Amino acid sequence: MSAQLPANLSEETVREISDARDEPEWLLEARLEALEALDTLELPDVIQTPGRRWTNLEALDFESLVDPLNQSDETTREAPDDVVVLPFTEALDEYGDLIEERFGSVLDLETNYLTALSAALFTTGTFIYVPEDVNAEDVKIRAEMNSRSLFSHTLVVTEKSSSVTILEGTESGDADVEGERYFSNLVEIDAGENSYVQYGSLQNLDEDTYTYSLKRGDAGTYSTINWIEGNLGSRLTRSDIETELNGDASETKIVGAFFGHNDQHLDVNARVWHKAENTTADLVTRGVLDDHARSVYEGVQDVGRDAWSTNSYQRENTLMLSDESEADASPKLIINNHDTEASHAATVGQVDKEDLFYMVSRSIPEETARNMLVEGFFVPVLEEIEVDEFREDLEELIAARLD
Amino acid sequence: MSSDQDHLKETDTEARFEFKKEQKAAFAAEKGLNEETIRVISEDKDEPEWMLERRLRALKQYQKMPMPTDWPGQPDLSEVDVDEIVPYIRPDVEVRGGVDDWRDLPDDIKDTFDKLGIPEAEKNALSGVGAQYESEVVYQNMQERWEEKGVVFMNMDQAVQEHEDIVKEYFMTKCVPPSDNKFAALHGAIWSGGSFVYVPEDTTVDMPVQAYFRMNSEGMGQFEHTLIVAEKGSEVHYIEGCSAPKYSAFNLHSGGVEVFVGEDAHVQYSTVQNWSKNTYNLNTKRAIVEKNGRMEWISGSMGSKATMLYPASILKGRGASDNHITIAFAGEGQNIDTGAKVYHNAPDTKSTIESKSISKDGGRTNYRGLVHIANGATNSSTAVECDALMFDNESTSDTMPYMEINESTVDVAHEATVGKIGDEDIFYLQSRGLDDDDAKQMIVSGFIEPITEELPIEYAVELNRLVELEMEGSLG
Repeated sequence: MSAQLPANLSEETVREISDARDEPEWLLEARLEALEALDTLELPDVIQTPGRRWTNLEALDFESLVDPLNQSDETTREAPDDVVVLPFTEALDEYGDLIEERFGSVLDLETNYLTALSAALFTTGTFIYVPEDVNAEDVKIRAEMNSRSLFSHTLVVTEKSSSVTILEGTESGDADVEGERYFSNLVEIDAGENSYVQYGSLQNLDEDTYTYSLKRGDAGTYSTINWIEGNLGSRLTRSDIETELNGDASETKIVGAFFGHNDQHLDVNARVWHKAENTTADLVTRGVLDDHARSVYEGVQDVGRDAWSTNSYQRENTLMLSDESEADASPKLIINNHDTEASHAATVGQVDKEDLFYMVSRSIPEETARNMLVEGFFVPVLEEIEVDEFREDLEELIAARLD
Repeated sequence: MSSDQDHLKETDTEARFEFKKEQKAAFAAEKGLNEETIRVISEDKDEPEWMLERRLRALKQYQKMPMPTDWPGQPDLSEVDVDEIVPYIRPDVEVRGGVDDWRDLPDDIKDTFDKLGIPEAEKNALSGVGAQYESEVVYQNMQERWEEKGVVFMNMDQAVQEHEDIVKEYFMTKCVPPSDNKFAALHGAIWSGGSFVYVPEDTTVDMPVQAYFRMNSEGMGQFEHTLIVAEKGSEVHYIEGCSAPKYSAFNLHSGGVEVFVGEDAHVQYSTVQNWSKNTYNLNTKRAIVEKNGRMEWISGSMGSKATMLYPASILKGRGASDNHITIAFAGEGQNIDTGAKVYHNAPDTKSTIESKSISKDGGRTNYRGLVHIANGATNSSTAVECDALMFDNESTSDTMPYMEINESTVDVAHEATVGKIGDEDIFYLQSRGLDDDDAKQMIVSGFIEPITEELPIEYAVELNRLVELEMEGSLG
């Protein structure tokens, strides 16, 4: 069922957003097309089992959540000199042609109702361009959300044999906004031949915010796209990380960490499509749930008919700290080529009793011991992070949540 | 090798399944489905009024419910047009409810089951045998020593007459209500035949009871219902085998199985399904397990064009446990979508699910499973393991498990692997003097061994023979 178009949304709204940014005609057209598509598009797919729907997106009241003309954010961008990191709008002046060519090429803007809504209304985001043979480390983008709703679009293009590590942090700013909010974040990565991208994302919005995020990568020949996704904030998070392995010998890792408490709802998904030969994927998600928090996880490893010699692995582990929490998981394998080595594993459980007993017997107080074990549980994710600041932030947030 | 096994080996398994008999029926319903058909079936069976009412209610539900089409990757059911099938055929047997002496069967039916090896199996290893031909059970027999202990094994239609109270209480009420899914509703409307098994308290039936289902007519549907009630502390192993010859029109099998496992009771339900490759096999099988009871589902799905089957256990009492072992083999044109469902609704409940699938020559297998741990089901544990073997690049193998965990003091593990048959394994066996075909067969036999070792020897041998035949088909 498609959602109702909010009454405060019209072609005028979209023109106003586009005019205010002095955007080229093609972008206005793209926005208007997305707006028009809203009539027929559906909300993102949600897993259903007999009698249960794992996430209820229909319940979101877009009428009150979406305030398109009052979007406001405070974003800082730090980057080494040889890589281009610009606010999306500013980048249009100098890189307009490139952006026109790649915008929406990796992530179909009409994937669902929420992506189209985002494309029609986005006012912030970043353009990252890494020229051939450039190796750039520690691109840091920190965004503060200061309005009822905020729509962001980020495009990363890496040329042949380049590499880049990126941190994107999202928090709520100090602005005084009463009631519920909505944050939408679309990210597309077009990884050129033999390039390397690590895109780390840390979402820690306040718990009045509903977050929708879709990040999608297109991995070219010999390239690698590694995603790291940390979700601690928001009342409800729907996050999809997807890589299409389109080039021979391309690789991807999708590494996720989440830590839910209170009545947070985390719907996190990792999907990979093997479409070329000799590709490799590794999906690792670790999550902790406390209080009434609920997690929903779907992992998909799709091996296409032509994906000869594929390696594909997936692990998902959830720790439950409270009886009131709920963890739902569905790791899926879809294998159409027999020349494949694929596996997945998922576990749900508590902190290991024997580990706890051992530490208590070493005179560590039980709560400290439990917290140490939870922190340790996240190590496989932390180890993957290449931007030091990101790792430190995530460690701090985990520690703070345990206090 | 014992002489029993020799006998089964000697019977050419392929011939046993591929032959067809000319259709000779005493009564056949019109094609299609309406209230009139249902009344005719019910009347032909001389059923009590409440059963007719249940059938008619189920029919209404069936008509209301949409065809399932939105499951990710599900088999295509667009060809299944219930109005095109003959829902009810009563074969030409004098005595309603079948005969209890093999010699009294009409020659053509006797010949069918002889070829399938039924009487031989009965002599050797079973407590009781039922055989269903088209819509009606034609033969039912149970060894006297079990009858003396109060064990009941009879055909379902007869049970409606003779054990009306039990049937009325348990038949499609609390276990599989017709509203469960479209095909359960269809089943509730036009069910016919099947088995009723009742095992009194503290009684152990130490040899399996078996039912064999056979569809012989083109374009028919078989809708047998199996109801097993195992009282406190009892134990029984029920085996069903299924087959049909291949016709060009499609056949539909939509069975319903309800199992009530009492406190401390133990029920094993084994199926070897070899429906012909024009059959749509859409079943609903479910067990409710009381305190410390144990349910085991063993399924081998080799036949059918499309199968959708997810035997379910509802672990209702503290300490109840479930064990699923399933194997699916999909060859050319087959789509075997099967798995397991377990609801942990009480503390200290346990489940293990082991699934093996093989796909080749464009066949498609899918493991689809659900494990639900409800709030309050503390100290429960579940372990799911799925392994898939793919023979070639035309085939597809999917794994789609769902886990819903509402309790923290639990142990939940799911693992799955998919791969091709190992070149090194084949090389090793070849170096020991086996040719390529034999090596592959041996690897597959080893792959499905966890299933075959759970079955009585006759079934294990048959399953192995079926796998060999499937393999020969592709490699020849």
